[in-house]
Amino acid sequence: MGIRLKVKNAEMGKELTLELSPDETIEDVINSAAEYWNKDSGAYIIRRGKQILKGGMKISELGILNDDVVELIPDPEGG
Amino acid sequence: MEGTVLRPGSYDDDRFDRSKRIPWLDMEALSDSRVLVVGAGALGNEVVKNLALSGVGDITIVDMDHVVLSNLNRCLFFRGHDAQQKGMKAQLVADGAKDLFPECRLTPWVGRVEDMPFPWPGFQVVLGCLDNVMARLHVNAHSYHHAVPYVDGGTDGFRGKVQVVLPPDGPCLQCGMNGSHQRILEKRFSCTGSDVSFFMPKMAAEITTTSVIAAIQVREALKILSQRPDMCIRNVLFYDGERGESMVLEMEKSEGCQNHPIM
Repeated sequence: MGIRLKVKNAEMGKELTLELSPDETIEDVINSAAEYWNKDSGAYIIRRGKQILKGGMKISELGILNDDVVELIPDPEGG
Repeated sequence: MEGTVLRPGSYDDDRFDRSKRIPWLDMEALSDSRVLVVGAGALGNEVVKNLALSGVGDITIVDMDHVVLSNLNRCLFFRGHDAQQKGMKAQLVADGAKDLFPECRLTPWVGRVEDMPFPWPGFQVVLGCLDNVMARLHVNAHSYHHAVPYVDGGTDGFRGKVQVVLPPDGPCLQCGMNGSHQRILEKRFSCTGSDVSFFMPKMAAEITTTSVIAAIQVREALKILSQRPDMCIRNVLFYDGERGESMVLEMEKSEGCQNHPIM
């Protein structure tokens, strides 16, 4: 049984629920959410509360509980 | 006769009188500071304008590019004839800032930051006004290696961010990057070698977000130059101009980051 994680889209305000295995990572969350919302190619980060989560972190390392909410935020690279 | 003698209106004879009324702002330190600005595009224009008006004494500006007409919706120091004459951005920003604050020493360097001849340890702070991940990583690595604080800015439409990197203890730019940043790099670079060509997608850009982000960048730099890094953003401020919101997010050093491996 996987862990359900709610991902909020910072740009659209919409929410997506992902079912994740403990070995999956924040990178997987970014990829799945960006693909689901047909995001343009660009850089994104995931935050939980006030913390930016590292891309390589496994779900099992994050102490995530079912239905915890994280947010997908675009990382602006223009100047 | 004892005591201070005041002439009515004398406060208005001092260019920086109003700045000096901010208790923590060290105007003497700003005047003695050397600052490096990498990138003289939209953010670079605003950042150098703010640094010059704030009284920073020495600004080096690096950019390899020339002005095009589509820059003119957000660049204070560029004019239509600069686009026609393919004026170099670094030179034009330096000339414009000199006009604003003639006592400031401005050094434009037209070229790639990778070829910059100035020693990094000579700067008290570096401001990144770049438009791609590769250049950001280069500036981040050199700043961190030489223990020079780095204030990076980025925009995309009405969104923006400012990250403050305070070596040797704080996380760096690379610590916050993930596979989505790596994919941008891979997508843009179509070949490697001495004459690298790459595809650079055009991003939405306008002046109000540019102004906000550049102002925050320079404010953070002023804190660093005034020896008040304790007041700085830790670690990244994200700005959403459509909603009129901003938030500060924290991050940790990454164990896999080559700039400061954790023992």
